[in-house]
Amino acid sequence: MPATPPGDSNLLPPYRVLDLTGPEGVFCGKFLADYGADVVKIEPPGGEAGRFKPPFVGEQESGEGSGYFLFYNTNKKSVTLNINHDSGQQIFKQMILNADVVLESFPVGYMASLGLDYDSLKDLNPNLIMVSLTPFGQTGSWKDYKATDLTLMAASGFMQITGEPDGPPVRQGNEQSHFPGAQYAATSILAALYHRDILGGQGQYIDISLQEALITYYTDAHPALAWQFLGENVTRVGTNSTLVIPLGAYPSEDGWIALGIITPREWEALSNWIYEVTGDSEVLSEVYKGGNQDRAPYIDIITAMVVDFTCRFSSDYLFHEGQKRNLVFIPVNNVEDLLEDPQLAASNFWYSVDHPQTGSIKYPLGVFDSDEVTPQTNPAPELGAHNLNIYMDEMKFTQEELKTLKDNGVI
Amino acid sequence: MTDRALKGLRILELGPYVALPLTGRILASLGAEVIKVETNKVLDEMAFIPAWSRGAGQPEFQRNKKRISLDVRTPDGLTVFRKLLSISDVFMTNFRRNILDRWGIDFPEVRSIRPDIVVMWQTGLGGIGPYYTYKSYGILVQHMGGVSLMSGEEGEPPATINTSYSDYHTGVFQPSAIIGALMRRAYTGNSAIMESSIFKSGAVTAGPALLDYQVSQKTPSRIGNKDFCMAPHGVYPCKGEDRWCAIAVQNETQWHSFIKILGSPGWGNEAEFSNLDVRIQNQERLDKLISEWTKTQDAEELMEMMQREAIPSSIVSKGQDLHGSRHLNDRGFYQPSKYFTAERGKPAYDWIEGQGMASVVPVHMSGTPMVYGDYHNIGEDNEYVYGEVLGLSQDEIHRMTDNGAFY
Repeated sequence: MPATPPGDSNLLPPYRVLDLTGPEGVFCGKFLADYGADVVKIEPPGGEAGRFKPPFVGEQESGEGSGYFLFYNTNKKSVTLNINHDSGQQIFKQMILNADVVLESFPVGYMASLGLDYDSLKDLNPNLIMVSLTPFGQTGSWKDYKATDLTLMAASGFMQITGEPDGPPVRQGNEQSHFPGAQYAATSILAALYHRDILGGQGQYIDISLQEALITYYTDAHPALAWQFLGENVTRVGTNSTLVIPLGAYPSEDGWIALGIITPREWEALSNWIYEVTGDSEVLSEVYKGGNQDRAPYIDIITAMVVDFTCRFSSDYLFHEGQKRNLVFIPVNNVEDLLEDPQLAASNFWYSVDHPQTGSIKYPLGVFDSDEVTPQTNPAPELGAHNLNIYMDEMKFTQEELKTLKDNGVI
Repeated sequence: MTDRALKGLRILELGPYVALPLTGRILASLGAEVIKVETNKVLDEMAFIPAWSRGAGQPEFQRNKKRISLDVRTPDGLTVFRKLLSISDVFMTNFRRNILDRWGIDFPEVRSIRPDIVVMWQTGLGGIGPYYTYKSYGILVQHMGGVSLMSGEEGEPPATINTSYSDYHTGVFQPSAIIGALMRRAYTGNSAIMESSIFKSGAVTAGPALLDYQVSQKTPSRIGNKDFCMAPHGVYPCKGEDRWCAIAVQNETQWHSFIKILGSPGWGNEAEFSNLDVRIQNQERLDKLISEWTKTQDAEELMEMMQREAIPSSIVSKGQDLHGSRHLNDRGFYQPSKYFTAERGKPAYDWIEGQGMASVVPVHMSGTPMVYGDYHNIGEDNEYVYGEVLGLSQDEIHRMTDNGAFY
């Protein structure tokens, strides 16, 4: 067990995590840091790629003004270290001695080429937990294939079922490809730490494939099963489901409104409401009654009746009036709506961060809410902000040694 | 016996749909004993999806759990449920609190039964605030989190995936919070009641855009398959029906290799494609020219050609590709699985058994391998849980089976 237990409202002890990842792993490190781990970003002397990613909320060139970087690196520390340099590798190995976790997202084999693969590092510290997040994992015929957000969305099949039926596959926005792998990585790291420290186990190596993680994010669409059973490929259906009728986003008087009918009782309630409004008794027909699959043959007429209804009202009205009738209508929000949303405001979703680049602005706190535990709330670090703290206070380098390392481009 | 990461932990799961069962499945794969409480009186709608073989997808959510049939709304059912709470480390549910309260298992009650229990309460819209009583479904709440309006092209309908991805966000967020809380309990003796929401799990991923809006009042541009720093960047039609290949050219070196792969057409030397800025400006024409050529190509061969030059590319995988993928199969991503074809109006024990396959939990741990485990039907573990775990007598079990508590 580490000497220090979790702080008052933290989930985790201040586990030392050395984070070498780029965008593939940045969300994983954020989780661990938000939960109370001591996450140290090991950045190349010029800063990691995420510092230069849009949107920019401050200076673009300095690497300190990226909104992407500021959000995904809260509660982390930053040191600069060139691990391609011999001395850099020596320093990294020294840091391994009291590290709990290493996160990396380099191409397969790159860490081994530096002598920093798990097999080498575990000899230095058998309690080390090391995680690799790569597009296709450490094994298999695609392991060395290059990928970006777009090509991962394609490889996983996410794109095949996103977009209009008569249009091309469309990527989901917001770099969706980086979330699933990072989340599974965080879960497996915590499980490995639990096993090591609470059950008396040892360190281990964890291989995460972003492609695999993405595929499991739409398991209920079951493309592989559909192929196995029917020889059919699941494809794009626009904003509406083909499995559950009606379900999807429909136009409202002032934008879009999402609606889904899951149970037979909900169909009763909706069809009665539509009849009340439109006076068209077709919607009450016996053939449309039943569970969510039963209306599949009538998708076109059902959709037409639903749209004729939703177009007559504002999204806000449908959202609240729907609840009174035990129906689920949900607004389709943009970021401005989120910032003003009364529900998020009332449920401890925001905290303020005062950062030199932005002044004081609101950040989303996290996913869970609890009286007993809460994520940490420190801003993202400036590049190398913790060099002195780590290299001098902890590792006892002298001023002179640091200067030499700096002159040689190591830090 | 192989070591398991969460050996010795017992988790009580109460609730249907996607996110909560997925959390349970991940924790079960990590080695925890997950007892899932269901009743034949109200079956999970997910068992009836998808249409092509009802129930076939359920192993991916319920595998490796101990599944019991128990109606908590009956007096004996409630008594047994309270016994289960008293021997569990974690209680997780997605029922609304007014319903839990009606059943006599709201959180203060749960904590009085087992003071150090970790509670994960999964909500749709949140546990406090103006919408806390609102009913919701994850597949719809994904539209609330902001991402739908960051996808697709400007002026077009929100391009959403034909599934409920924010359910998965929540489902995979929850295990890390639960394990974290168990860690904290082990160190400090303190437990935690946590509430998650599908709304928040979506909204949190909009982080950078939320920061940006406060500084610049800009909402994210909807750029479809394009990129601000790469061109060509998109999906290109290939030979065959609905067949596509995604290609992302990241820099000038890749651009030159790319043009060579296309057979060095004359337009490759035109000034309007000579650097990134102009390629982004003239993207429409560029994509058209590329598409004319890719239409004559096999998607998989095209991908291979690009990858040989280290240009990121991939076929847009269909179910057929995913099912037959040598890469995924070599990594053991799919395993055979029994399942049960759900039939409305019939209790689960009358459902017909079938054989399919299911994906693993995509985590490869060297020291504590994930458990794939058996897939059980609802109620299949009644004997184990009521007899072995709780130590009820055969008489009691018979009585409660007869009076409907175990239906």
